[in-house]
Amino acid sequence: MKLSTYNFLTSMAIKGVKVGFPLKLTISKKELVETEFNPTFVERLLPKLDWSAVYGAAQVAELAEDIPAVQPESIVDNEQLLQKLHHLLFEIDVLEGQLECPETGRIFPITDGIPNMLLNEDEV
Amino acid sequence: MHVEQQQQTVNNAKKADKKRRRCLAIIKSDCDVSPSDTPTVYLAILNVGLSNGLTEESLLEAAAQTGGSVSEVAMLTGKSYCFLVCCSLEDSQLVYTGMHNVSTIGQQGAVAYLSYVKALPTLAGKSEWNKPLPSGLIVLPDFVSDAEEATLLRSIAEDGRSYEGTLKHRHVKHFGYEFLYGSNNVDPTKPLEQSVPTACGFLWPRLESFSSSWDWSTPDQLTVNEYEPGHGIPPHVDTHSAFLDPILSLSLQSDVVMDFRRGEAQVQVKLPRRSLLIMSGEARYDWTHGIKPKHIDVVPTATGSLTTQVRNKRTSLTFRRLRRGNCNCSYPTLCDSQQSKVPQELSTLADQAVSLEQQNVHEVYDKIANHFSETRHSPWPLVAQFLDSFEPESVVLDVGCGNGKYLGCNAHILAIGCDRSQGLLAVGQQKGQNVFRCDCLSVPVRSSSIDGCISIAVIHHLASADRRLSALREMARVLRPGGRALVYVWAKEQRRNDRKSAYLRQNKAVNKERTTEQEQRQKQQHELEQRPQDHVSLPVHTNRTEFQQQDVLVPWKTKDEQRTTFLRYYHVFEENELEKLVAQVPEVELTKSYYDQGNHCVIFKKIAVCTARP
Repeated sequence: MKLSTYNFLTSMAIKGVKVGFPLKLTISKKELVETEFNPTFVERLLPKLDWSAVYGAAQVAELAEDIPAVQPESIVDNEQLLQKLHHLLFEIDVLEGQLECPETGRIFPITDGIPNMLLNEDEV
Repeated sequence: MHVEQQQQTVNNAKKADKKRRRCLAIIKSDCDVSPSDTPTVYLAILNVGLSNGLTEESLLEAAAQTGGSVSEVAMLTGKSYCFLVCCSLEDSQLVYTGMHNVSTIGQQGAVAYLSYVKALPTLAGKSEWNKPLPSGLIVLPDFVSDAEEATLLRSIAEDGRSYEGTLKHRHVKHFGYEFLYGSNNVDPTKPLEQSVPTACGFLWPRLESFSSSWDWSTPDQLTVNEYEPGHGIPPHVDTHSAFLDPILSLSLQSDVVMDFRRGEAQVQVKLPRRSLLIMSGEARYDWTHGIKPKHIDVVPTATGSLTTQVRNKRTSLTFRRLRRGNCNCSYPTLCDSQQSKVPQELSTLADQAVSLEQQNVHEVYDKIANHFSETRHSPWPLVAQFLDSFEPESVVLDVGCGNGKYLGCNAHILAIGCDRSQGLLAVGQQKGQNVFRCDCLSVPVRSSSIDGCISIAVIHHLASADRRLSALREMARVLRPGGRALVYVWAKEQRRNDRKSAYLRQNKAVNKERTTEQEQRQKQQHELEQRPQDHVSLPVHTNRTEFQQQDVLVPWKTKDEQRTTFLRYYHVFEENELEKLVAQVPEVELTKSYYDQGNHCVIFKKIAVCTARP
């Protein structure tokens, strides 16, 4: 699971959960996948992402110093930050770990790079 | 001449010895049973068993001819050997010398080879005769005298007003109420003209010591079964809601062996002529009972040995009392009242939909994932075209992405896929695609966060209109206002403008007129009948033919040697059905709908933010 995917995931489908976001991420095994850096792609994608989850992911991925807690107003000229965001969002592949619902504590395991977000019939 | 005969005997013994050694090696490796050089009470019959047609009865008959007594027979399922336990060493020696290389109980009269062994295999299990009876089961021997038996039979035979019928394997007669075999029940509003014969009246005072704890003391229904030798009755439980506790059965004219089963447990019970069987509590509610269709039964003797017994014509009198209401026993497994009860909040359909999808969609895709993935490689052009219509940097979610074949179509977008099948997701993940596992009815994605959605050949696997609509609502929810979705479903109609879809065109045998769709259907029906393990609740579609129904099971044959057939559930869509579903989602508007190679397709656009989750 790339951390760009993580940015969209929520546990709101669980009965009684209001927001279910951001999910609490734990990484126990990750892999670095080098991909081509496209600053425009990162910049244009940013408005679709939730910054608090970007920042949260950076902390778990031990890249806290690279990403500011508050989203900068303009990022077009900040190629260094764009590069760091590219690395964070597209080059870290979480192979093993878990996602935890912030409201209920329900754990969604990540196995072989695939988060299992399936819910039981009685949870929805 | 004399020398030749001697030579033949020696050769014969050598051959037997060689065969015996080979068989002993098999038994040793199969069940770790070793031969014994000195006589024991345990005998292995080396080359005949259940797998090549030996019956317990014929084995016991052969053993009986030797004069030796047998206390136990161990027949092992699927094995070409079996075991005997004799009553004493002397018996064992009699059986050995009388049968080894003599007894022609093998296939097509082949001779049997025997060996003493040190013990029975552990997997032989306990003899079905030494087990305790099911709780609540009582057999009262000599319950009626010979004279009373004759009186009862006469009074039943003389009564011309009872309801009579002949079932496949036995003749039946009902008193009081007719037992309806279609529903396995009685109609309490339709009593028969003739009630339980008064000639049976002398039986009930004899049961007073028991009946104080029963639901009833005199019956209001009697079913008389006449079994010719070789006839039986399949394992069943008397319908809980039809009759109270207990069930009584009086055996007349012949002994018989009745089998009681509960799960893996099986107990054989001898019902002697003129005995009364009482099934109450657990034995009445939680065990099935049946009679094997045989001419000969294996029964224990008073001395503990086993023997065979030829069946005569048998008449059984089953006395019962109607319940006239729902059963609330403590044995729900076989209880029709409790099994048919539907939770108030769940409609029956939705309840079935979940289990149907689980068995005939999710489990099947998990099993066929690799083979299925191999057959799904080239993107359909109009789907690829839709994906290409998104601006660079768009976020597109593929709901039901399978092996992820659409996730790499447009390199300029962020494509994320989700699916139910772990096996298919793993294929996509290996290719470096972004995937997660979920159900399309609860997509774990933020609301209004996605620019585009595709869902190709997915929602036709959902087994109710409500669920198919819910899947569309989920796509609408995750789309941002202005976001667009493309949905493909399989069409019932596989022909347009007199042109067959690609799906039908691949039926080469039909297209070349070597066969017809009808013949293929017949053939498949026959194949399915060979698979009694499947409980098929829906019509099974014949591949590469026109659909006959909307809700069908579509076979998937694996490519391996087994050629296993899996059945996938599909709801194939009628024309405009998909459009009508889209119209029920207020947040979206239909932009386009079309027919593409046997699929109905829609593109819709989100115009407003969803107010609430459904």
